[in-house]
Order: sequence, then C-alpha cells, then structure tokens
Amino acid sequence: MKWKKLLALGLGVCLSVGVLTGCGNDTAGKGNGEKVLTIGDTTFNSSNEEPDVNPHNAYAGWACIRYGIGETLIKYSDNMEIQPWLAVKWENVDPLTWKFTLRDGVNFSSGRAMDAAAVKQCLEHLIANNKRAAQDLKIASIEANGQELIIKTKEPKPALLNYLGDPYGCIIDVDAGFDKGIVAGTGPYIAVDMKTDDHLTLKKNENYWGGTPKLDKLTIRTITDGNTLSNALQSGEVQAAYGMAYESYPLFRNDKYTISQIATSRCFFGKMNFDPDSVCSDPAVRQAISMGIDKENFVAKLLDGNGFPANGVFPAGPAFGGDKVKAEKFDPEGAKKVLEAAGWVDTDGDGIREKNGKKLIVKWLTYPSRQELPLLAESAQATLKDIGMQVEVNCTADNNQAVKDVKGWDVYAMANVQAPTGDPEYWFTVFATGNATKNQGKYQSAKLDALEAQLSQEFDPAKRAQLALEMQQVVLDDHAFVFCSFLKMSMISKANVKNYTSHACDYYQVTADLDLE
Amino acid sequence: MNYAVKRFIQLIPILFGITFLSFLLMYLAGSDAVTEMYTNRGVEVAQEIIDEKKAALGLNLPFLQQYLNWLWGMFHGNMGVSYVTGEDVLGAFMKKLPATLLLTALSIAMTVVISLPCGILAAVRHDKIADIVLRFGSFLGNAMPNFFVGMLLMEFLGIQLGILPVISSGTDIKSAIMPTLTLAIAMSAKYLRQVRSTVLEELNKDYVLGARARGISAQVILWKNVMKASMLTIMTLLALSIGSLLGGTAIIESIFMWDGVGKLAVDAINMRDYPIIQAYVMWMAIIYVFVNLVADLLYHHLDPRIRLGVNAK
Repeated sequence: MKWKKLLALGLGVCLSVGVLTGCGNDTAGKGNGEKVLTIGDTTFNSSNEEPDVNPHNAYAGWACIRYGIGETLIKYSDNMEIQPWLAVKWENVDPLTWKFTLRDGVNFSSGRAMDAAAVKQCLEHLIANNKRAAQDLKIASIEANGQELIIKTKEPKPALLNYLGDPYGCIIDVDAGFDKGIVAGTGPYIAVDMKTDDHLTLKKNENYWGGTPKLDKLTIRTITDGNTLSNALQSGEVQAAYGMAYESYPLFRNDKYTISQIATSRCFFGKMNFDPDSVCSDPAVRQAISMGIDKENFVAKLLDGNGFPANGVFPAGPAFGGDKVKAEKFDPEGAKKVLEAAGWVDTDGDGIREKNGKKLIVKWLTYPSRQELPLLAESAQATLKDIGMQVEVNCTADNNQAVKDVKGWDVYAMANVQAPTGDPEYWFTVFATGNATKNQGKYQSAKLDALEAQLSQEFDPAKRAQLALEMQQVVLDDHAFVFCSFLKMSMISKANVKNYTSHACDYYQVTADLDLE
Repeated sequence: MNYAVKRFIQLIPILFGITFLSFLLMYLAGSDAVTEMYTNRGVEVAQEIIDEKKAALGLNLPFLQQYLNWLWGMFHGNMGVSYVTGEDVLGAFMKKLPATLLLTALSIAMTVVISLPCGILAAVRHDKIADIVLRFGSFLGNAMPNFFVGMLLMEFLGIQLGILPVISSGTDIKSAIMPTLTLAIAMSAKYLRQVRSTVLEELNKDYVLGARARGISAQVILWKNVMKASMLTIMTLLALSIGSLLGGTAIIESIFMWDGVGKLAVDAINMRDYPIIQAYVMWMAIIYVFVNLVADLLYHHLDPRIRLGVNAK
C-alpha cells in the first residue's frame, strides 16, 4: 500500500508544480509581433498628487509628460536650457507680450489639429483650474490666429517660457474631455485605460509628428513598496523601474540591467537660523558649519555614490550652476580656527566648545520622508563634533510645524528641487529674499533683495544667469545656507530596453525612441 | 438575544473611544494630508495655495472641532471624502472590501489545510521525528514576521523559479497564491501548535485509553472520538483568526499590491488621510467586537456550564 501513497503524493506534487508553472507570468516581450513594455513606478499615485494624467489636475501633468501623452510649448535641454517643442519660435514683443509660432502638422490623439485656438483653449482651461499655474503664469489674455499665439501677462514675466515648460503646460485637446482623468495630447503615446493608484495603459500614437514610436503598448504599474519594485524587476514582471530604493541598486549593477543616472536639481541643504537666540546668529558658527560638513564623504559613503556634492544653490549644467560660485570647502582645521577666533573654546575639556558659558549646541531639524536627510543629519553630527560642536538632531514628520518655532532649531535641513523649470529666480524668492515665503530663519540681505529686484525685471537669459550667480555668492558669503548634495536620479531597466534615459528635469521618461530589443 | 443586544450596545463607547484615540494619535504624529502631498513632490508651493486647500478640507480647524465635524458627519451617514483622492470614503472602502474578504477566506482555507493535518500528525507522532520537525517549523514560522515570509516567497517563487507573479494584477487566483501563502504560513505556524496540544490533550484522556483497551483501532479513535472532541476548540480558534486576518492583512496587501482595504489603510496612514484611517479603525473595531461576540454566543450556546452560570446570577 505504501507505494500507492507515494505515487499519489508524487502525482499531487507534479500537479501543483504544473498549476503553478502555468501561473508564470512574463509581461515583457514581443508576443504576437507586438512590442510591449511594463514600467514599475513608485511615484505615480494620488499620494504624489498624480491620481490621473490630466495636467490641469494638481501635479498629474508629471504623469502626462513623463509617459509620453502630452508635450509642452518648450522643453528643457539636459542643461535645463529652453528649446523649441510644440512652439518652434517665440518673441518677446514687449515686457507684457509674448508671440509664439506653433509647429505645423501636429495633431492631438483625438484627431484635432494643434493650432493656436486649441492652445488658447487649453491654457485658459489650465489657469481656470490650476491655481499654481495661474499664479506662476500671470496670464492676462491670449489671442489665437492660425499657428500664431499671443500671450499677454499681467506683469512682466521674464520666466514665462520656463513656466510654460512645467508639466502643467502640456497642451491637450480640451474638447476631447477628461473622462476618468484621461486626456488627448500630442505625444508619442495615447492613454487608453487607467485605474488610479494601480496602472495606466498606453498605446502607440500612429500619427505622432515626431516619428513612429517603437513600442506598441506600454503599461505603467504603480508599485508603492520599493522592495516589491525591485523584486518585480528581477522577476521580469516589469522591465523598467522608476523610484527604486538605493539599497536595491547593487542587485542591478550587472550586465542584465542598464542604470541611467543624471544629476538633478533636487538638493539637500541646511538653512541657518538668524534669530538672536540661535547659535547660528554668530557668523563664525555658520561659517564653521559650512566648513565642517564633509559633503564628499556623505555622498560617497552614506549615499553610496547616489548623489553629487553641492557647491552652490544649483547643480553643474545651467549657466548659473555648479562651481561658478565660491563656497567653503571641507576644512575641519580651518573651522576650528574660525571658532577659536570668535571666542568659542572648549574650557571644560568635554570636547564641546563654549562661549560666555553657553555650550556650542546646534539644534538640527530635519524630516524622515526623504531617506537622505536623516543620513545627512548623522554625517553632520559626526563631522561637526570633531570641530567641537554638539549636534542635537530632531528628525520629525512634523517639521513644517516645528520650523515655525524659531527658538526650536538652529539648522533646518531639507530637500528641494531648486530649479524645476530651469529658471533660478524661483529659489531665491521662495527661500532667501527678505519677503521669501519659506525664509523661516529670517535671513536678511539688502544686497540680495536689490539683486532680486533686478532679476525680476531682466528678460535676457545671459544677464539673468549672471545675476543668479551674484545672488548665490551673496548667500554663500553670508553662510546663510549650506548646500550639501544633489540627487543623482536613476532609472533602471532590463538590458534589452533601449533609450530609457534619465533627464535632468525628471520629465521626459517615455519618448518615441523608447524601445525593446 | 438580550445578551447580544447588550454586547452591541457596548460597541458604542468602544467605537467612540477608538475613533477619538486614532484621530488624536494621527494629530499628535504631526503633519497633515496637504503638507504630505506637497512634501512628497519636493517643490515648494505658495503658502496661500496650501492654506486654501487646508481650509477646504477643514484641516485649519482646532483638533477637537475636526473630530466633532467628522463625528457629526458619521451620525448623518456621511463618512466624508478622502483628503487625497477626493473619493467618497464609504464607496472607496466598499470597493476594496471584496478583495480583502477574498484574501481572508483563502488564507483561512489554506491555514486549515496546513495546520490541521500537521497538528494532528505532530500529536499522533508525539516526540517522534515528525513532531520535532513540525514543532521546529512552527517555531520558525512564528519567529518570522509575515512581511519577511512574503519577501522570501517572492525571492523563491517569483524570482528564482518564476512561477508566480510578485505583484498582483487584480483578484485572480494566480495573484492571490503568494499573499495567501504568506498569511497562511504565519497563521499555520501558530495554529499547528494549538491543534497539536488540543489533540494531544484528548489523546491522553481516559476514554482513549479505555477505547484502546477495548481493541478499537487507533484510526477510529482519532477520527471519530478525539477529533470530534477537539473540534470545538479548533473551530473557535479559527473563528478568532478571521478577525485578526480581516484586520491584519494590511502590510501583506501593500507588499503584493493586493488592492484591498489593508493597502488602502497603509497608504492613508502615510498620507495622514484621516477619513480613510477612521473608516479602517471602525472596521477593525467592529470586526473584533463582532467576532468576539460570535465566539461568546457560541460558547453560551454550546457549553451549558456558561449558560447556567449566567442564569445563576
């Protein structure tokens, strides 16, 4: 009887394996002669204000442009310089008037021709429905005549072109509607099906003006867990991944995968508190902090090379970025001398300096939602201790509330995309000028404010870049901020996926060239 | 009947307490849905846009007023709308509930299939190799958190063997196998030991010795007597596990992208989406109270000693 049991057991195992094998799933490939690609993405979800692909809805324009559905009037080069896209040329008629000539022979996926009337309708719908866009663009009126579009602004807007390249500026056919968050754009792919927080299905736009897209079908899968994304890429369920956690990168550093990396303007930096009760109100302390943070080591060791040490406000690339400004280098011995000269001396031998009976304790406020920030706090804690500063870290999700209490922090370390539209003015008006909206440390510089007044009226890109450099130097000379590193953005794909390439502005993920071999 | 009504009345203060506490804890944790959304994006947004959105959602109000507004809506049958998606909370919850119910039912079925025969085998082979191996397996299963089991299964079944998908593509069976196995392994590790000890206790009773002495076969004693006597305890344990599974699938749903209420809750917690969190908390409270009530009623009905005790009072 025993052999019968064994036979039954063996059959059972075979059946189970057979059933499970039948369950195997490989979504990649060229079955039925079609090229089909699936991309796993941790950011395409309602938590990122991307519940759909309607560019007029919150930040969903990022999905619209990233997945090749929509295109903007201008696009950014790898150096974040402005290039023609749906607009082939433009002219600044006077400080309030811009004249655009639109590209001929472009149709929306709905079949409608992309002319000035369609663009006017789209932009009017945008500013009526997206407060952020309305505030950025400050459009007073739009005129349409064939392929000629005239935009009048309420006030001089030197950065209007930059803002028109923001993902919310995707030109869509408003008449085609917004059914289930799907829109008709001019891009290489057409959205055909979407479920919020789950997936987006795209098919190729056979009539794309920029050539025939290489893939027949594309699926974007929302995957919230970083480990699951890594497993899905390894198992072949997705063939490309966006938003992978750093710790998974070593799994993909081999011949089977391609990692495309580029420096972005997402910066990790600390802002100093100028409140009289803060130790950072002392210029020597601010300078010593700037000299005491080991950016190179932070990027190499703690970020495992997934970043670039920062010099100024902006990364290398744009005319106003990189090492064109002079910032403090890591110099612990120099920092010690600066502190000693200012009267900060360790009198009790505990390794922490004092002045007038006050210990040199730096309250470091940061938040955990960006994985790099707690690491930066640890790094600063270690290197600043070597120069006699005690760093007390407060890493809290309630940072926005905590930063309002100026007595509760000395350095606020944060992450921010410094030039999301390639224009430098945004950063200064948000963080550094006297009336900046996020200048919680109350930094004041009459020189900086005067330069900003010039920048706000300057239309010449070269002069704007020069002003931005001068303004950065003011901020750096005052040691009002310490810029630590820029994010190196990575996109990982199977080796047979071609042209899945990172771009400095993080917008152009799916293009007509994306291919599967 | 009176007993059941009394228990349902007890549910009211429990729901008040638990919803207030969860609201308070989320508030104390800091941040809010609007801030989280803009922080995730990493681009600073004008304060007036943030303030306007907060005001529209009522997030600018004092804590107590926010809670009372939510409570007032609840009394009027309105659970509110999600701060993140703008979807009706009840609708969103009900849309995802069937997936969680399916995962729970499959996990319980698989738990029974694994733990019952293994538990009986361990009891019958008391202190023999099979018992030792199964007990070791049970220790191992208990020691590993279920998300870790999930990761191991993904590695072996999804990546190495490539026979199962690591991400769910709906509520089909092939997508369900791995999350079901993950939940069932953890549950089985627990119940295997309980089944073993229950069966073992019965096997050591005098009536088993008497039956053996009368020459009744071991198979008959085990299946017709011992199992019958053990079943009440085993069924009660399984009934209670329904509660923990219905409320405890959250992490597994998130890992496998299983589109159920657990994943909805994890996403909501990350985003401080209070109305969704409150709905999930209420769901958990109701499940636990309901399952405990059913278990109590079963005991009440099946065990005359409990009934008599109640009557004597």
